Amino acid sequence: MAVAMREATSPDEAAVRRIGERLLEAMPPRARGPLGRAEERLMSRLAEEPETKAALFRLVDVAPMCRNAADLAAHLAALVGEVDDPPGTVGLAAGLGRSRVAAPFVGAVAERAVHAMAGRFIVGTDVDDAAGELRRLWRKGVAATVDLLGEATVTEAEADRYAQRCLDGLDSLAAQAKSWPADAVSLEDRHGPIPRVNLSVKVSALTPEIREEDPRRGADDARPRLRLLLERARALGAHLHVDMESLESRETVTALVREALAEPEFRDGPSAGVVLQAYLRDSPEQLEAWLEWAERVGRDPPLVIRLVKGAYWDHEVVEAAQAGWEAPVFTERAACDRNFEALTRRLLARADLVRPAIASHNVRSVAHAIAAAEAAGAADVLELQVLRGLGDDLQDALAGVGYRVRAYCPVGDLIAGMAYLVRRLLENTSNDSFLRLRATADDPEALLAPP
Amino acid sequence: MNEFTNEPLAELRRESVRAALREGLAGLDARLPLQVPVIVAGARRTGGALRSDDPADPERTVAVAAQATEADVDAAVAAAAGARPEWGERPARERAEILGAAAQLMRERRAELTALIVREAGKPWVDADAEVCEAIDFIEYYRRLAVRLDEPPALIQPPGERNELRYVPRGVAAVIAPWNFPVSISTGMVTAGLASGNGVVYKPAEQTPGCALAITEVLHEAGVPPAALSLLPGGDGPGIALVAHPGVHTVAFTGSCAAGLAITKSAAELAPGQRHLKRVVAEMGGKNCVIVDSDADLDEVVPAVCRSAFGFAGQKCSAAARLLVHEAVADALAERLAGAVESLLTGPPERFGVDLGPLIDDESAERYDRYLVRGRSEGELLAVGAAPDGPGRFRPPAVVAGLPPTSSILSEEIFAPLLAFEVVPSVEAACEAVEGLRFALTGGLFSRNPETVAMVERRLPVGNLYVNRGITGAVVGRQPFGGNRLSGSGAKAGGPDYLMPFVEPRVVTENKLRHGLVV
Repeated sequence: MAVAMREATSPDEAAVRRIGERLLEAMPPRARGPLGRAEERLMSRLAEEPETKAALFRLVDVAPMCRNAADLAAHLAALVGEVDDPPGTVGLAAGLGRSRVAAPFVGAVAERAVHAMAGRFIVGTDVDDAAGELRRLWRKGVAATVDLLGEATVTEAEADRYAQRCLDGLDSLAAQAKSWPADAVSLEDRHGPIPRVNLSVKVSALTPEIREEDPRRGADDARPRLRLLLERARALGAHLHVDMESLESRETVTALVREALAEPEFRDGPSAGVVLQAYLRDSPEQLEAWLEWAERVGRDPPLVIRLVKGAYWDHEVVEAAQAGWEAPVFTERAACDRNFEALTRRLLARADLVRPAIASHNVRSVAHAIAAAEAAGAADVLELQVLRGLGDDLQDALAGVGYRVRAYCPVGDLIAGMAYLVRRLLENTSNDSFLRLRATADDPEALLAPP
Repeated sequence: MNEFTNEPLAELRRESVRAALREGLAGLDARLPLQVPVIVAGARRTGGALRSDDPADPERTVAVAAQATEADVDAAVAAAAGARPEWGERPARERAEILGAAAQLMRERRAELTALIVREAGKPWVDADAEVCEAIDFIEYYRRLAVRLDEPPALIQPPGERNELRYVPRGVAAVIAPWNFPVSISTGMVTAGLASGNGVVYKPAEQTPGCALAITEVLHEAGVPPAALSLLPGGDGPGIALVAHPGVHTVAFTGSCAAGLAITKSAAELAPGQRHLKRVVAEMGGKNCVIVDSDADLDEVVPAVCRSAFGFAGQKCSAAARLLVHEAVADALAERLAGAVESLLTGPPERFGVDLGPLIDDESAERYDRYLVRGRSEGELLAVGAAPDGPGRFRPPAVVAGLPPTSSILSEEIFAPLLAFEVVPSVEAACEAVEGLRFALTGGLFSRNPETVAMVERRLPVGNLYVNRGITGAVVGRQPFGGNRLSGSGAKAGGPDYLMPFVEPRVVTENKLRHGLVV
């Protein structure tokens, strides 16, 4: 590691094990993994059959753009046609997709399947549609951060529309939150109250002008829109979280957020946050830079730093390989997990300055974070985060034990959600993911071993 | 020699990398204007007949170049022919080592070369950087290819017979180079000639003599004998004389279709004293189409089309000129593309993040203006971006829709940031439109149905078809580049066959049977 970090001391492994076992026990024993058993079996099959998996992912990807059920069936047939030896049902469906009589039926079934899959990861077509689910989560002790899915922003008008959707979303969430019971989720730490309403936004949706070689351009174009959101969030007492995407936009996002949050107008509100991606090899330096910034600017409420593994691993690796660069991400899972834990401890060591939000579905990483927080006396500040549809079991277990947990809840229609959905499905069928590991291994000792 | 790998692009998303490039530009600016001599067999003659400017600021002189004469052409061809003992007859491996040193020098001068492209061709950093990488790639690729060519595949050897195939240099290669890739295409054509053992006479575009000098100096410093590479800056005159010269064996040309046809014709004429057929490697124009099917991901189409049509202000031969859109998505795409075009940034290429730089010269700017007027009268302007006022030759990106099928905008190469938007009832109809063109350089398809992809692959005559991505930016060894029909002679730059027109095959058969015995 390039930077020597002043970390909180490593927690006792026995404590990590104890907490981890408790969480595993609290998770539903039968339907391991986030999906039901039937879907779990399908996902396992797919993980073992990369060609079929690729074909079905490509089908999911194109589904919203198909003109009708017959068109979808034709795509299914063509995509599965590329697979050498498709599994029985898939091959049969593809064969029927070529029949003029059966195609609309096959297409309709495929369409329903895609919608059902999307429904696991997306809580509603818009914020109002999601109200029931958000309330249900809240009542069982789970806070949410809402992400408004959208098509890529390629025009200024689209950026304006996205900003408007965010403003409307904030209003709607604030109205909904009034009816949420007061004591379901712990909303107070040493820094003060934690907002009930929490919205995650993407800078790439706030401007079409992100250019990796000129971070200024995208930041300048997005700033007026981000300022609108900050103003509204402050007025409503909501939290605004700026997501991180692939590395090409990192400088843009960083410059934009630092400048906007340091403005005198926003010095004492709203609550805001950023994301640190542990898969990046230079993430320790990034964290130090954020901590220095937070110290210098002295905002109150404190900056929330959401620690994630990072969702663009394939993209970063492929892009680097094509350009001839060293991959900016860890290519070995254990190294990434170790970095995640080191960053967790570093964040917890500065819980006086920032609010750490540890986002992971890896029970080991989560147990380590809890143990480290307890060891560092920072348990009151710790927040745990999961993705809707992937971390549901873990989320319920965490809420059940009484930890502060927040689910990242995407909202949007199917076209808008497709890129998100494909990323989630990839994650769920990756042989390297903790979710797969947990679906295939029973041994808590192996699941909770230090990386 | 280790295996070929592409030169890594500059990681422009990192500020330290950008700072190094800015420094290179400042270093170059301090040395302007450059003096570009005629260099014949190492003898330099300066004299300020030609001037190249900064297209973003025409007041700034980038280079002052001497003008080569017909006498220079004669002397250069004679020198190139005379270089055979010290260059052409040297083992391919030794030539390859010298060229390897040239690639290394380019790496060392990378910042300066990139800056020179930015200044003299008005090319934005991203493209200028990729161009220098491509130049290095060409050297590295062709020098390896030449070594392989030196060990040709074994022939059938029955008892009593020795059969050998060898490729020998043809003699003198003339290189007539364009301004739009002043470093990479020049380097590619020149080093293809050199790697295969020819003497090379290099006539660069008159707009970019400064880049030509930088390349020539790199090659000479690396150890290419002065006689084996001469530099003849100038206008059309020396180029015409060079192509017609009886001592030239192979002409490598990249440029317009009209010039390519003239060269082909001239090279076919037998000059007095000429005892061979000339070969012409010609890379000419294009009218490149991108087809968008109803199932395309418009999120990807819009940025890819913007980059393909307007990157380097549409001045790449591979640039997208026509967009053929399935009617089911035409309205949505028209709206999104228009909005995207309006947010493109036209400005000085030295500014990081600029999408379009200036056009190379007044002729190009006037051609754009003319076609835009025609587009407005024959169709409608779907979108036009913004461009700063002069003195730079800036022109905004524009999209024209609703053109009649007979419009010349749909068939002629414009070489400027003007894109035609057309609605088609089906991908098949789009294929027919592409098949009807004189040109067949690059093409694009956005479709997520593998059967559609396979159908278009079979049908389109283009030299380079790109599926679900932009249609510019061919990479050496990954996308051997070149067009068919009137787009070119079919040679693929950066591909395994490129050296063939620069060599002639010779076969030796020896009888090894003496008195009934194999000896």
